[in-house]
Parts: sequence; C-alpha cells; structure tokens
Amino acid sequence: MAKQLNIDPEKTLSGDKLRPSEILIHGYNKQFKDERKYWGDSKLIELLRHMLIVREFETMLHSFKSTGSYRGIDYLYKGPAHLSVGQEAVVVGSAAALAPEDKIFGSHRSHGEIIAKGLSAISNLDKKKLHEIMVNHEDGKLLSLVHDYVKPESGGDAEMFLLTGILAEIFMRDAGFNKGMGGSMHAFFTPFGAYPNNAIVGGSSGIAVGAALFSHLSQGDGICVANLGDGSTGCGLVWESMNFSAMGQFKTLWSSPFNRNPPILFCFTNNFYAMGGQTSGETMAWDRLSRIGAGLNAEQFHAETVNGSDPLAVADAVSRKREILREGKGPALLDIECYRFSGHSTTDTNAYRSRDEIKAWKLYDPIESFQRKIISEGLLTETAVTELIASVGNQIEAITRVVVDRNLVPAIDIKTNPTIIGDMTFNEESIELTQLADDLLMDPGGSKQQQSIKKKARFGFGKDGSLLSGMRAVTLRDSLSEAILHHLTHDKSLIAYGEECRDWGGAFGVYRGFADVLPNHRLFNAPISEAAIVSTGIGYALAGGRSLIELMYADFIGRAGDEIFNQLAKWQAMSAGELRLPVVLRTSIGSKYGAQHSQDWTSLLAHIPGLRIVYPATPYDAKGLMATALSGNDPTVVFESQRLYDRVEIFVEKGVPESYFRLPFGRAAVRRKGDDVTILTIGPSLYPTLEAVKEMQTHGISAEVLDARTLVPFDYESLINSVNRTGRLLIVSEAVERGSFSNTIATNVMRLAFDKLKAAPIVLGAPNWIAPGADMEDTYAPQEEDIFDSVFGEFFPDKRVNKRGIRSWDFIQLAGQGL
Amino acid sequence: MTVNILVPNLGNEVTEAEISEWMFDEGEQVTEGEVLVVISTTKTSLEIEAPSGGRLAKINFREGELVEIGTVLGIIE
Repeated sequence: MAKQLNIDPEKTLSGDKLRPSEILIHGYNKQFKDERKYWGDSKLIELLRHMLIVREFETMLHSFKSTGSYRGIDYLYKGPAHLSVGQEAVVVGSAAALAPEDKIFGSHRSHGEIIAKGLSAISNLDKKKLHEIMVNHEDGKLLSLVHDYVKPESGGDAEMFLLTGILAEIFMRDAGFNKGMGGSMHAFFTPFGAYPNNAIVGGSSGIAVGAALFSHLSQGDGICVANLGDGSTGCGLVWESMNFSAMGQFKTLWSSPFNRNPPILFCFTNNFYAMGGQTSGETMAWDRLSRIGAGLNAEQFHAETVNGSDPLAVADAVSRKREILREGKGPALLDIECYRFSGHSTTDTNAYRSRDEIKAWKLYDPIESFQRKIISEGLLTETAVTELIASVGNQIEAITRVVVDRNLVPAIDIKTNPTIIGDMTFNEESIELTQLADDLLMDPGGSKQQQSIKKKARFGFGKDGSLLSGMRAVTLRDSLSEAILHHLTHDKSLIAYGEECRDWGGAFGVYRGFADVLPNHRLFNAPISEAAIVSTGIGYALAGGRSLIELMYADFIGRAGDEIFNQLAKWQAMSAGELRLPVVLRTSIGSKYGAQHSQDWTSLLAHIPGLRIVYPATPYDAKGLMATALSGNDPTVVFESQRLYDRVEIFVEKGVPESYFRLPFGRAAVRRKGDDVTILTIGPSLYPTLEAVKEMQTHGISAEVLDARTLVPFDYESLINSVNRTGRLLIVSEAVERGSFSNTIATNVMRLAFDKLKAAPIVLGAPNWIAPGADMEDTYAPQEEDIFDSVFGEFFPDKRVNKRGIRSWDFIQLAGQGL
Repeated sequence: MTVNILVPNLGNEVTEAEISEWMFDEGEQVTEGEVLVVISTTKTSLEIEAPSGGRLAKINFREGELVEIGTVLGIIE
C-alpha cells in the first residue's frame, strides 16, 4: 500500500541539488582486433552479409516502386515502402546482440529490423528448433513453397523462409507471415522474436513495455526492445511508456522476485528526420536525443548516443544495455544516430535536405565502411566481397521471382469467402478457471469487503416487497467486484491496473478490499497515462498474459484514442489471428460532473471494428457479462454507468448468484412483455424507460422493453422478433443522437422489419450538445417524460396525451445550426 | 458536556453506511481528531474522527450494523 511510503515534509523541503551525470556520446572505442577475437571472423562476415541482405531487399522494393521492375522482373507494388537504406548497421548490430527469445517491436520503417532479427535468430537457434518453427507455421505451407519454388542454395532454407514470408506479407499475399493482413508497416514473425511493427509513430512503445512486464512477471529470460524513431520523441505515448516502464513501485512496493524493473530497451534509430522535419534543431527541444534520459529517472535510463554507422558500436551498446536489463536494472535508452539515404517513402523528393549533406554522409555508409574494414583487415578479399554481394543479390532475386507470381503466391481468397477478413477479427475462445492462484495474500473470502457483500440479500426486493437499499442488497458494483475478484484469484496470468485501482479500490470502489488479497504486481496503481495504460495492457496480453485495465471515465478514451482504435481493435485481425488480445477495458460513464465527465461514448467504440462492447444495466448481467469478458480471448470494452453502481437486482428473482457464472454476449434481455411498441434500451436508460412504460399502461399502451446488454455483438434476432409483433420501435440511450449506434440499429430494423413496421423507428438520445452540470443533467439524458412523449407524440398522436417533457425543438432547424 | 458522534453526509445519493470498526471501546479516553470509527458506504470506507476529546461514554451501533446519515453513533463526555 502506498501508505508504506511516507512523505516526510522535513526531508522533502530540505535544500539539495539534483546531480545529473554525464551522458556518453559516441564513446565506442574498441579495437577491431579485439572485436575479431570477441565475435570471430565468420560472425563478422555474417554481419556484413546480413547488412547486404537488408540493403538488397530494400533496394528491390525501391526499384519496384520507382521503376516497376527489379532485375528484369516487372511488378506493380501498390503498398507503402518506408525504406531504411543507410540504417543497416543499426538493425544488424542490434540483432547480433539479441538472443532469439528477445522481442523487438518496430515502426513503419522496420523491414530491416525484422529481417535482421530473423537472420540473427536463424543463426542462433538450434537446427531442430528452427525446423520445428518452419514446419509448424501454417502447416508447413510456406516452407513447401520455399522448397518447391525458391529452391534455396545460398543461405539455406530458413533464410529463404524468412525473406519469402516477409516479402509475401509486404505484397499482401496469403503466404505472408500474417496472410497479408499486416503488410509492409506491420510485418512480423513472433517465433523469431519479431513482434508487431506499427504504422502509428511511437505506437509500439507501450506495447513493448507491456510485453516486457509479461517477461518480467512470467520470469522469462528475454528482454523487449521498442524500436522507435527520433520523431517519436514528440509523441505523448512514448513519454508515458518510458515513465510507466520505470515506475518507482517496481522497487519500492513490489515484492521479491518481482521487485525489479521490467526488461525494456528504448532503442531510438535517430536518422535526424521525422519524415521531413529535422528533429534536433527544428522540431524537438533536445539537442541530442539521449539527453531525455536525464529527465526520466535517477539512472537516466542508462542513456547514451551511439554511432549507427558501425554495426559493432551498435552491437556493443545493445549488448551492454541488455545485461543491465537482465539484472532488473533497466529501463535503458539508446540514441543510435545514422543517416537514411532513401527517402521517407518513395514519393520523397528530398526537398528538406541538401545534396551536399547526403553526399557527406555517403562516406559513413555503414556497408561500405564495414566492407572496407573487412577487406583492409584481411577477413575477405575484394573479390570475395564482390562474390558475397552477388550471392545476396541472387538470393533476393530468387524470392522475389516467386513472390511476385500471383498464381504461385496468391492473396487470400476473398471472392470465395467474402467474410474471410471479418472472420479474423475475433477468435471467440474462452478459458476455463480451475483452482485458486497460489500467489494470494489471503483467502479472498476472508476479505472484509467480500464478507460485507455476503451479508447482503441477493435480490433487490425484500420479503415484504419493498426495494432494498444498496447496503442491504447486492449492487451492480458488488456484482462486478465478485466476478473480477473470482478471475483475479483463479487466474495468475491476469493483472489489473488503472488509476487509483489499489488502495482506493478504483475511483468507484469496484476493487475495494482487493489490495488485501492481491500482491502489488497483480493489482497496481498506474500513472495518469491513459494511453500507456491501454498500450501496456495490449502488450502484456499479446505476449501471453491477460489484462484488465481501467480508464476511470469513458471521457478519457480520447486520451487513449490511438491505443483503443488502432491497436486494441486491430491487432488480432492485422495478425490474421496469430495474436490473441485477452484485454478487458473497464470504463465508467459519469454523472453530475459536466461536459468532460458525463459522456456515453459507446457509439464511438462500437463504430470501430474489432472491439466487443458491453454495457450491463443490472447486477445479474454485470456479474455474468464481466465473467464472460474476462474469460474470453478477445478485446472487450465494458462500460459501467456510475448512476447504476448502487442499483440492486430487480429482475432476476432468484437474485444474483453467489457463485461464478457467465452470460453469453449478443443476447438482449426482455425486461417487460408488451404488444404495442418495442422499446430497446442501452445501459441506464432501462430505468426511466420502465417508469415511462408504467405510465403508458394507464393510457392503454403496452410496451415491450428490451435491454441490449451488448452492442457488439448485437442481438438483431430478438429485436426483429419483437418489432415484428409490435410494429413500432423506440431506441433509448444516453449517447448523443447524431451518429449514435442507435441510428445504426434503427436503420437496420427499418430494412429487416419494413413490412411489419407501422411507423419509422425513433431514436431518443442526448441532444447534440454538451452534457451540462449536475443540476441540469435531467435536461440532457432522456428522462421518463421524454420517453413517454416520444411514444405518444410520434406513435400514438391519436391518443391526444399531453406532452410532459421539455424537448420541443425543430430537428431540421437545429441540424441547420450544427446541433 | 456531551458531544454526539454523527454519521456525516456521505455524498451524492448515499444515505446509509455500515459500521466497519470501532477503534475504541466504551469508557476509553479519546483525543480530538483521533480516528474513532470506520464506516463503509456502498463505494468507500470513511474514517470518522473524534469531534472532541473526552471519554467515549456510549456506543449506539456495533460493527456490521447499518446506519443512516445523521445517526448518532456514540457519545463523548
């Protein structure tokens, strides 16, 4: 508990000085003869060969993009090509210092990184293991393609397997490592330690930190490397991730053996340009990138600047940092300076840099410099180097000839199976929980909080039929708490975190008392870094763990926009189902705190393919749906209404079961039977709807009420069945009406039940302006009166029932005003 | 002089709380500001401090009992 860390005013306020230490800039000074001794000549020649492979690979792509042809092979490549010509020493030097089990996470410019990491893994893995990997990948299909058509001579089948898999991925073919679903900017192959590259600048940083946390908690050997560019130091997520990776609690609050820092290396390939903006001098505050280490923690992230034109300087630095990380003394940061000769992309005209500058750097071309060294030191003759270059050229030509052939290496067959890409979105797997985890601080049943819940009634109505208070009957908060604690105590791979999650128990008390049961490494307070909370949760899950992350208010989704929209939602499909993301993101929809704390953003997330969206309105549902979310292997967002936390169960008469249970997603609940109108509610709108329905009854209208429970997946079947009977549909939610998910449902019902509809469906939500403060909130979220008015005003005007609510505005006029 | 120990206002819509723990027994001396009793609402735990120094003369509600806002939990003399 943070109470363990006392803030002593006397100590805090006494005078002192911070003393940053020196940061090494290009301090590498090893003699080549010593390096020969350390690596051995054949390894040094291998480094040269790997650099040549990377360059030839990129040259081939450049040639296709700029001329449509390479070595007489014609091919139109329509995708992106962010090439890394000039950066070969960085990727090869770095990969040479890494073991096969170390994981790298890259950027949009990462062809070189995954090639180099793959080549290094191939060179270090034992032959049997290597063969197993290739045979097991897609039932050996890629390996067969390589054997039958690429016909490896130089480099062996593993290198050809790697290069073919990568090129096929870049060319968006089924034989690609991710069936072409990732493409150039997302290619990866985890068995060789190459983890997802990311088209969003800095996007890999938090994912890599999350994966490092998994390595750390599963006590694996490998380190994780976030390969980032200099431009990414302008991204918020990168800073959040660096801070997260070095949180003080690892050492102060986590207990042995977890009281170490996660093994993460922030490896910045600094090519001086963020696309066309010059980082040092123009767009960044830092003069040398490594300077930022000094601002991060007392160890300054062990930061240093390294010469990225020399593979041996890079290998030396990465290898030293790796040792620090393996001792639990990370994180570390490297600023590896190098010069990208290729443009940002193939449409780059170099408008932002001079020819003289490019010419000056040619002297530092990593391959030419290293070749000169290899020849002058007598490792190879000039002729031998020429032969090496030629053989690498033949190697790349061989794979290219095969991969460009669309008959031999086709794309996935979308024509035969039009939903094939959609089918990769969710895996629909779930796990079984078996026994109590062995890392608990106490028996979960013994916690005060759980005992206090146990005293409560499970059903919300007392024996005399009176509604019980939340202190006397199980609430929605208690239900969530029970389901989550059950998972946390029966699943050691599950970690939960977010702001104030531990001592406070979450801002709304769902985790209250959990700190007595769970050790710090399984339930902890995160910094106020929504982007890093989500990003690390993704990384932890895709590396093999399971994460339950919390954003205190749904309004903070904006702070984690990319992480939710582009990362959490997409990685399963972008990996063609290779990756699993068992991540549950809990977030609450606020009340009473005004415009930035009261928004129902379910529609916003339902719009993004790839997320399961849950919004329980009752304690029974909250427990069952949360259990389903936590047991699934698909990313799921659970919205919780702050207005409902204290609700007791009023629908299921046997009450909320004390024991663990799961409720399937995609099944709406019928809350009330009726014949004249169907009202579908999303989240808390259920309750004012039920009140309004009682009133409708007195005017002779019988309404059927359906509670959506989950938006993705959505239960059209139940809804259509109901609408087919009643002929009328009103959808009520607290999301603003414009662009809301309710409109999607309304449109689909219009189409699917057109024959039976007696009137067009109505969508009732919040008006298209800000949520006002507490005292005015009842003018915003649909109230009982508004629901009543919608039904009588639009469906049954002949009943001539007086209007009760305040909503009387001209829709078309407001829309013209932009409202 | 006697001083009542009251259940304070607990925030929006919260009307009840459970007594979690008394830190003192009846008859013991307490100092103003010391934590006297911990109560729990549906959402959080709250420490109630002694409103004045003196002898904890009476405890009206025991651990596990439910009390409403404004209830007199006990008396200090």
